[in-house]
Amino acid sequence: MSATLPLGEQLVANGCITARQLDLALQRQRATSADPTTSAHLVGRTLVEMGYLTQPALHECLYRQFAAERDHYLDNPAVAPVIRFERVVKILDGRRVLDAVDLAIPANRVTAIIGMSGGGKSVLLKHMVGLMKPDQGTVRVGEERLDAMSGRALRQVRGRFSLLFQGGALFDSLNVYDNVAFPLREKSQLTEEQIRGRVLRCLAEVNLIGMERKFPDELSGGMMKRAALARALVTEPEILLLDEPTAGLDPIIENAIHYLICDTFMRTRYTMVVISHAVPEIFQWCHHVIALHRGKVLYSGPSREVDASPDPVLRQFIRGELDGPIQVI
Amino acid sequence: MIDRLNPSRKTTRMVDLLQHMGARTLGLLQEMGRMFLFLLEVLAAIPVPPYRWTLFLRQVHFIGIRSLFVIALTALFAGMVLGLQGYYTLSRFGSEAMLGPAVALSIIRELGPVLSGLMVTGRAGSALTAELGIMRIREQIDALEVMGIAPLKYLIVPRLTAGLLVLPLLTALFDVIGIWGGYLVAVRLLGLSGGTYFGGIESAVEMHDIITGLIKSFSFGVIIIWICTYQGYYTRRGAEGVSHATTSAVVMSSVLILVWDYFITSIML
Repeated sequence: MSATLPLGEQLVANGCITARQLDLALQRQRATSADPTTSAHLVGRTLVEMGYLTQPALHECLYRQFAAERDHYLDNPAVAPVIRFERVVKILDGRRVLDAVDLAIPANRVTAIIGMSGGGKSVLLKHMVGLMKPDQGTVRVGEERLDAMSGRALRQVRGRFSLLFQGGALFDSLNVYDNVAFPLREKSQLTEEQIRGRVLRCLAEVNLIGMERKFPDELSGGMMKRAALARALVTEPEILLLDEPTAGLDPIIENAIHYLICDTFMRTRYTMVVISHAVPEIFQWCHHVIALHRGKVLYSGPSREVDASPDPVLRQFIRGELDGPIQVI
Repeated sequence: MIDRLNPSRKTTRMVDLLQHMGARTLGLLQEMGRMFLFLLEVLAAIPVPPYRWTLFLRQVHFIGIRSLFVIALTALFAGMVLGLQGYYTLSRFGSEAMLGPAVALSIIRELGPVLSGLMVTGRAGSALTAELGIMRIREQIDALEVMGIAPLKYLIVPRLTAGLLVLPLLTALFDVIGIWGGYLVAVRLLGLSGGTYFGGIESAVEMHDIITGLIKSFSFGVIIIWICTYQGYYTRRGAEGVSHATTSAVVMSSVLILVWDYFITSIML
C-alpha cells in the first residue's frame, strides 16, 4: 500500500469504504465547506458523520498511513533542513544547558526531541523561535540567521511558526473562542466572519465544538492542550513546535493527543517538532528523533533506528532502567 | 582568634567584602539601566500604530474608574483631618479664617497628587504587577512574542497611556472632595463661616498651584506604571517571584513617589 495515497483513496483501497461512499462524502464536503482546500483534508470526518466509517477505524487508517510513511523515512542529508543549529552554546546560571549543539530539523516531517528533564529541550525549542539567543553558534531558519535578528525582522520570521507551550499559555481573560481567534485578529486582515469560520474549523479539528464560551480555568488539562493546539493551528503555520503536548495527561488523553498530532500532520504536512517524555510511544508518531543529554545531542536520526543505538545513555533512557551511566538515585 | 593573628586571611575577607559590595553595586546599576531602557522602549512604542483603543479604555476603567471609591474615601478623610488639625493650630494664633486656603493649598499642591499616587499604587499598581507577573510565568508573554506581537506595545503601552490620563483626573477629584471634607469639618462641625472658608480659597489658590499639582500627578503616573509594569514584566521564579515582584513594585513606587515629590517640589516652588 502506498503511503502517498490520499486518505480517502487509501480507505477505499483498504476496503473500509466503497468508492461510491467516498464520492458522496467528497460531494458533501464541497457543498458544505466554504474553503475548498479543506475538502480533501476533512473527508475522514465527513465519512464518520455520514456513518460510512467509525471513528476508531478512521484513526486506525490514519495511523497506518502515517506508520507506512514513517517506516520509509530515511535521514537524507540532501534534503535542506528547515531549522539548523550550528555549534550552539547556551549558558544559564553558570550551567552549559546547550553544549555545542549541532542539529537539523527536516522539513515536512515530525521530529521528536527526547531527553531527561533539565536536559535543555525547552531551551532548544525557545532558540528555534528566537525567544532565547545563543551565547555562541548560529541558529538558522531556512537560510536566515535567527540569532542575529531582532525587532520587525524577527517577528516576520516568527510568522512562520506556531508554538504550543507546555502549559498551553492561553490568555486567562479570554474564552476559548477568543483565545483561538486572537492571533488572527491581531495579525491578519481577515474579516470577523472569515475568522469565525477558521476558528470553528480548528475547534472542530481538536474536538472542542461547544466549548467556545468556556474560560481556560474551566477546562481540563486535555481540553486546555487541545485549545492551545487549535490556537497554534489557526494561523496555518509552516512550522509547528509542541512543547510536551502530553505532559500530565492520562494515557487515553495522551493517545488522543498523539492521534490529533498525526491527524494534523497528515492533513497539513507542517514541519512539526515535538518535545516528549512519552518514550518509547512517541517513536510511533514521528519520523525523526533527536535525543539530548546534558546539553549534547546523543542521537539524531530516523525514529525506527533509535532502538538500535549503541549509546548506553540513550539505551538506559529509552528503557527507563535505573542501572546505567545516568545516576538518578 | 586565629583570624586576628592571620593578616592574610583578614585581607582576603576584606577583598571578599569589597567584591561583594562591588557586585551588588554593579547589579543595581545594571537593573537601573534595564529599567530606563524599558521606559524608553515603551515611550518609543506609544506613537507607533496599531492603536489599541479597546485595551486603552479597559485600562482607563481598571486604573481610573475602579480607583474612584478609594480615592474619594481617602480624599474625604484627608480633608476632614486637615480641617480639624488646621483649625486647632490656626485658632491658637487667631487665624481661623486662613483654614480654607491652608486646606486647599495643602491638598492641591501636595496631598492630592501624593495620596492619589499612593492609593493608585496600592490598588491598581500591585494588580498590574501581579497580572503581568502571572502572564510571564505562564508563558503568555512568550506566546505573544511567538505570535509576532510586540508585548511592550500590546501590554505596557495601553497601561502607561491610561495611567498618564487617569492620574491627573483622579488627583483633580481628590482635590475637590478633600476641600469639601475640610468644609464639612470647618463649617458644619466647628462653625466657621462658609463664605470665609471658600472666599479664602478663591483669593489664595492660583492657577500655578493647580498646574503644579497636576504636573506632579502626571509624573507620579509615569512612576507608578513604569515601576509596576517593569516588575511584573520581568518576574521570574514562579508564584514566589510574583509575590516578590508585587511587594517590590509597591514599595519602590511609593518610595520613589515621595523622593520625586521632594525634587519636583523644590524645582516648581
